[in-house]
Amino acid sequence: MSDFPIPVKPKSRLRIALDSDLFYTFKRSPVAMVSAAVVLVLVLSAVFAPLIAPTNPFNPASLNLMNGFTPPMTPNAFTGESFFMGTDDQGRDVFSTILYGMRISLFVGVAAVFFAMVLGITLGLISGYVGGWTETIIMRTADVQLTFPSILVAMLIFGIAKGVTPVEYRDQMAIWVLILAIGLSDWVQFARVVRGATLVEKNKEYVQAARLIGRTPTAIMLRHILPNVLSPVLVIATISLALAIIAEATLSFLGVGAPPTQPSLGTLIRIGQGFLFSGEWWILLFPAITLLALALSVNLLGDWLRDALNPRLR
Amino acid sequence: MKRSIHLAAFLAALAPFAQAEEFKWAVTTDPQTMDPHAVNSAPVLGFLNNVYEGLVRRGKDMSVEPALATSWEPIGNGEGWRFNLREGVTFHDGSEFTAEDVLFSYQRASDEVSDTRSWFAPVSDVVMVDDYTVDFMTTAPNPIFPGSIANWMIMDSGWAEANNTTLPDKENGNYASLNTNGTGAFRVTSREPGLRTVLEPFENWWGEAEHNITRAELTPIQNPATALAALLSGDVDFINPVPIQDVARLNENSDIDVIQGIEARVIMLGFPHEADTLKYSSETNDANPFADVRVRQAVAHAINVPAILQTIMRGNAEPVSQLVSPAMQGYVSELEARPEYNPDRARELLAEAGYSDGFSFGLKCPNNRYLNDEAVCQAITGMLAQVGVTATLDAMPVQNYWPELRADNYDMYLLGWSPGTFDAEHPIRFLAATPNEEKRVGSWNFGGYSNARVDELLPMIQSEIDAASRQAMIDETTKILQDEMAYVPMYVQPLVWGTRSNIELTQRPDNFFILRWVTVN
Amino acid sequence: MLAYIIRRAGQSALVLLIVGLVAFAMFRFVGDPIDNMLGQERTAEDIERLRAQLGLDQPFVVQYYKFLEGAVQGNFGVSYRQGRPVAEILLERAPATLELAMVSGVLAILFGIALGVFTAIRRDGWLANVIMSASLIGVSLPTFLIGILLIYLFSVELGWLPSFGRGETVDLGGWSTGFLTESGLKALILPSITLGLYQMTLIMRLVRSEMLEVLRQDYIRFARARGLRDRAVNFRHALKNTMVPVITVIGLQLGAIIAFAIITETVFQWPGVGLLFINAIQFVDIPVMAAYLMLISVMFVGINLLVDILYFFIDPRLRADRSGGH
Repeated sequence: MSDFPIPVKPKSRLRIALDSDLFYTFKRSPVAMVSAAVVLVLVLSAVFAPLIAPTNPFNPASLNLMNGFTPPMTPNAFTGESFFMGTDDQGRDVFSTILYGMRISLFVGVAAVFFAMVLGITLGLISGYVGGWTETIIMRTADVQLTFPSILVAMLIFGIAKGVTPVEYRDQMAIWVLILAIGLSDWVQFARVVRGATLVEKNKEYVQAARLIGRTPTAIMLRHILPNVLSPVLVIATISLALAIIAEATLSFLGVGAPPTQPSLGTLIRIGQGFLFSGEWWILLFPAITLLALALSVNLLGDWLRDALNPRLR
Repeated sequence: MKRSIHLAAFLAALAPFAQAEEFKWAVTTDPQTMDPHAVNSAPVLGFLNNVYEGLVRRGKDMSVEPALATSWEPIGNGEGWRFNLREGVTFHDGSEFTAEDVLFSYQRASDEVSDTRSWFAPVSDVVMVDDYTVDFMTTAPNPIFPGSIANWMIMDSGWAEANNTTLPDKENGNYASLNTNGTGAFRVTSREPGLRTVLEPFENWWGEAEHNITRAELTPIQNPATALAALLSGDVDFINPVPIQDVARLNENSDIDVIQGIEARVIMLGFPHEADTLKYSSETNDANPFADVRVRQAVAHAINVPAILQTIMRGNAEPVSQLVSPAMQGYVSELEARPEYNPDRARELLAEAGYSDGFSFGLKCPNNRYLNDEAVCQAITGMLAQVGVTATLDAMPVQNYWPELRADNYDMYLLGWSPGTFDAEHPIRFLAATPNEEKRVGSWNFGGYSNARVDELLPMIQSEIDAASRQAMIDETTKILQDEMAYVPMYVQPLVWGTRSNIELTQRPDNFFILRWVTVN
Repeated sequence: MLAYIIRRAGQSALVLLIVGLVAFAMFRFVGDPIDNMLGQERTAEDIERLRAQLGLDQPFVVQYYKFLEGAVQGNFGVSYRQGRPVAEILLERAPATLELAMVSGVLAILFGIALGVFTAIRRDGWLANVIMSASLIGVSLPTFLIGILLIYLFSVELGWLPSFGRGETVDLGGWSTGFLTESGLKALILPSITLGLYQMTLIMRLVRSEMLEVLRQDYIRFARARGLRDRAVNFRHALKNTMVPVITVIGLQLGAIIAFAIITETVFQWPGVGLLFINAIQFVDIPVMAAYLMLISVMFVGINLLVDILYFFIDPRLRADRSGGH
């Protein structure tokens, strides 16, 4: 068997891009570089929030309500304390709350996209490769999924999770439910892309050859087909990350977001929009700008990545 | 061609109204029905007070004043009440108001399917003496009966029969849930549920009109920021409520007037008196600390109510020490002192009760029911944490909240109570009496607070005619509830209305918006 | 081919059944409708009676069966909140949502295609790059915030446009339209921008990338080589060939627009079905929620089916194999 001539597997598109052009185009794109820098700074400050943030806004015992509504860089009338970005209605330092909130937003976003990606790739590979009834079931499920707007899916999962989780775990639950909800509403596009690519790759010579030498379907899917669909998956993942962070904010508006004692950026914006007309602009403005900077940079990176990984567009 | 004719006719029809005093107002919740006996809820009754009328009504200061009855007096030695009806009153459709309509409305409103039937629990019989006299017989002397039926609205019997709506239908609705025929100062000319309801003055109203409105339009606007934007941009003339954080800014705006008052609603914390253990504790699984009065007192001392009122309520609410606000009948002014904010005392009390290391528990809270309810609960969580008692806050929409409370899924909860009768007896009946389905008491006493003396006092308060001895009993009950810290009353929720400055109106403490007191300048 | 269509239609029906089931299961968790239907002075006995009256005490399967039985006959029951037939309420509210969706859809398509073509042709121009980046701002903020900021700017600060609602409407045989009055048209502007922004960005990016793809095809190069003017090449050839995938995505986005109208309608108090749905959640109006979800599902599944069948006619090889955006 071993002397059977196996055609050389072509290098994957991603590999080629990484080896040669991707970094080169990155260096030549100021937008991509600035975006990457912004994302890097934001991610790092979120990860190291406990070291950077002056206070821990998630510890209710440390809050002094009398510090509430302190404007940025102005001493509070009662306590005399001063805050870089002011405080919110609970007397929380807005700057610290943003750092901690961004952690939650990023965690929810990344975890949701990862979950969606794993689920989507798996189901996409299986339905593309196996076909038949399996494919029908998976792709019809995808239709059901698309039928339910993501907001509704999230509300549904939130409600059910609330009903089935033991009472003492409910407050930690909110975050995981958000991840599940956003992830579940996002897997379809991964599945569709992967399935499409799988259908194409499956009939190519190298896959048929691999099959002939007795490779298992799992091995073929993972080792041969998957690498070839990674670049569109990467693009979708990047853009999905921005979407997931925004989706979390939207859900928060509908009352199914992160709990107010451990707010995400979205929850902060939801709380802050109540102060738009009352003059406490900082409670809305700073979280909104942070969210905008984060989502916009991720989107711009995704955009650049899409063009960069599509050599035909260069 | 044809359309332009229509348009011309339309404009011609509009012309006489060029000087019309139009008034538009927005509320958070649309009245869910136009049937005055189907749902006993503030948005419905408040709105319908402009359209329907009762035998008596409440004035600008909440005093009971004549409406469809011109006078009333007790019968014999407290056997009931006699009402003398106003003559010459007509319904919006022109039919005459008589004792028959009163009797019919009694039957309609006290039926099993009517949500208002608890108002008539003390009534044993209603007797039509003549066309303009009606006797209400009560099972026991009932001094506050006339005031307790101020929201009971009279419907025309003929109209109800003709339209097949002799009983309210909560489930499927009927003619009366979309159409009205009252005797009030305004009649509904157009009703689009959830969108808009249009009112016009009733030209044959028996009373003297104080308002100058020619047309009024009610729109529900849910999102508070949108409602405020509508007021600021002049798209509506009045909103209720104004988000409390916006009061200060609006006061600086010369186009807008903010009208503030104290509402009847007391915001308090409730406890699981009957529970054996905590439900949401990570370490205290074999005891219920809140069963100990010292722990409940510690909670009261740990909460800095003045700070909550100062920041979250922006100085727009009043602290309160009992289950009713000072504006209510039966308020005990001698007992108005609240437990002071004293975290050291709280720690001491906890230590005495054997919880010197504190404990953890679950606090349930609605997030769309009371003004800034979620923020208040958050602040309470922080303050309790400072004396070592750590709460896990679970804030949820009110549609999930009540089922949770009914299922006893809480270690502590937030509750607001507004007495429908404006009397101190009301919260004793619903919140303090031992729950008893048969006697119809304690139906909102989720924690199952029970005190034999309170249960004994309640029926006595209900039937005592002499005002002084009645007040003495209320004093005693209030003292017991305070000593045992059955609930921790915190503050009276403020009423905050916002209008364009060319509008004059009167705010009533029950948060009912009375259109006939509105003047557009 | 007929067999294919029948099979797909059957699958779609199954999808609807599942959606109904899932939706129905969800209602057990959104809360208890009873509390909103009874006042403060209700007793436990009142609660039980009303629950029995509404059939909420029956097993889940029975409730679901009853719902399906009614639904296939077009009877979605009576709203708990309004006490009126749900079908009637939905019909009353549908014009508002459809008009809003239509205007935002048209705005999104017009601006999306125009900007997409522009950014593709001038792909290295600074303006095109600015447009590409700026368009992302619109999708990098949550819709509700964009809506509120628009209200703040154009209604409160500038006073140009109404802050909420549909303005005056004209009734055309049961269809209330806001197109015929000045206030109705003004009221449409802010909500349709809020709602259409995301779709506009999506279409613009799609058109751009499809155009770039097409522009480098051989026949376009030949066309240029033949000496055709740029304008003719760009529009007569390139854009035309871009349209197939764009139309597919637009079709799929139509449903998304109506679903996302929920947020926009809440912010602008726009009296459509989305606002009705949010209200229904708040008051646990199960019949309205169920009917709304079914309506949305029928629409999505219908569009899906239609697109699949169209594909079948256009290119049998592509049968059910479409990987268009979501």
